[in-house]
Amino acid sequence: MKTIEEQIWEYIDGELSGKEREAVAKKIADDNAYATVYIEMLELHQLMATVELDEPSMSFTRNIMDQVNLETNPMALKTKVDKRIIYSLSAIFLVAIVSVSWFTMAYIQFPAFSLPSLHFNMNLEQFVSPLALQLFFFIDILLALLYLDRLYRSKKA
Amino acid sequence: MQQQTDQALITAVLEGNSSAYAELVNRHKRFVFTMAMKFAKNREDAEEIAQDCFIKAYRALGTFKNTSKFSTWLYTITYTTAMSFLRKKRIVTYSIDDEESHLQLENPISSYQANDVEKKSKYAYLNLAISQLLPDDAAIITLFYQSEQSLDEIAQVLKMESNTVKVKLHRARLRLKEKLEYLLKDEVKELL
Repeated sequence: MKTIEEQIWEYIDGELSGKEREAVAKKIADDNAYATVYIEMLELHQLMATVELDEPSMSFTRNIMDQVNLETNPMALKTKVDKRIIYSLSAIFLVAIVSVSWFTMAYIQFPAFSLPSLHFNMNLEQFVSPLALQLFFFIDILLALLYLDRLYRSKKA
Repeated sequence: MQQQTDQALITAVLEGNSSAYAELVNRHKRFVFTMAMKFAKNREDAEEIAQDCFIKAYRALGTFKNTSKFSTWLYTITYTTAMSFLRKKRIVTYSIDDEESHLQLENPISSYQANDVEKKSKYAYLNLAISQLLPDDAAIITLFYQSEQSLDEIAQVLKMESNTVKVKLHRARLRLKEKLEYLLKDEVKELL
């Protein structure tokens, strides 16, 4: 059961439905208790609506902008995440999942039927030579240097 | 010159035009400062809180998703910052849910005694009454009447349900009326 004050506040705030609003309006018109509370609440409501905001000091904005100028520029969140990183990670996971699934399916022994077995006939020794290893390490060092350079530049900025 | 929307100014700031932020500050500083005053009770602390809010908002501007009004987002930061300030300062307050509690300020009328003429105006009495409310009550009343925020938006700022805000607003207004009646005693009859 709502109190008289609650009904009147909802009436003043315009939160009542059509029928409820009519009912409260009728009570205000007919009932002195409702009318008294309504007049008091309406006065307070109107008074509150006319109160002015406080004004900060004249240097308020300037002080903030002085601090803002020392901050790094904000960036939209979407630009902070490079989509290429997300796509690369997705591709790695996708390849891993497909490989594992393929391997599992190829080596599972089904009782009723069997999948064609996969035969890899690759001679890895022809690829692993001293020159290939040197080339591999050289590229690794080059990538590491590029990464460190980029990291240093981003920290400096 | 046509006034830019808050969103246009935010976009400009995010594109590197930090001076556009000054316009955002100018638009919202009065309300943020008023909210801060409800918690700090003196101008110096309120300015510190308000400035802190705008700096935090600037740093987090990239995370603003435009799913709500910028003002609602900013007032959420203001409310959180002001509450943190209260905790830091260890000002004694009571829970908003404590119906029987009465906030006892160190000197609730100190900031209003400077101008005796103004003190006699109904607005001064009203400000005094609001200053004697619990910070949450004062915040809800300020948000509802002075920032044109809907109950749903206030709920978002205060991280409460809309119905809870409605009940709290109702109670806050009753407490405000009681405070006014106490302050004005016989004069309240003329005011209300």
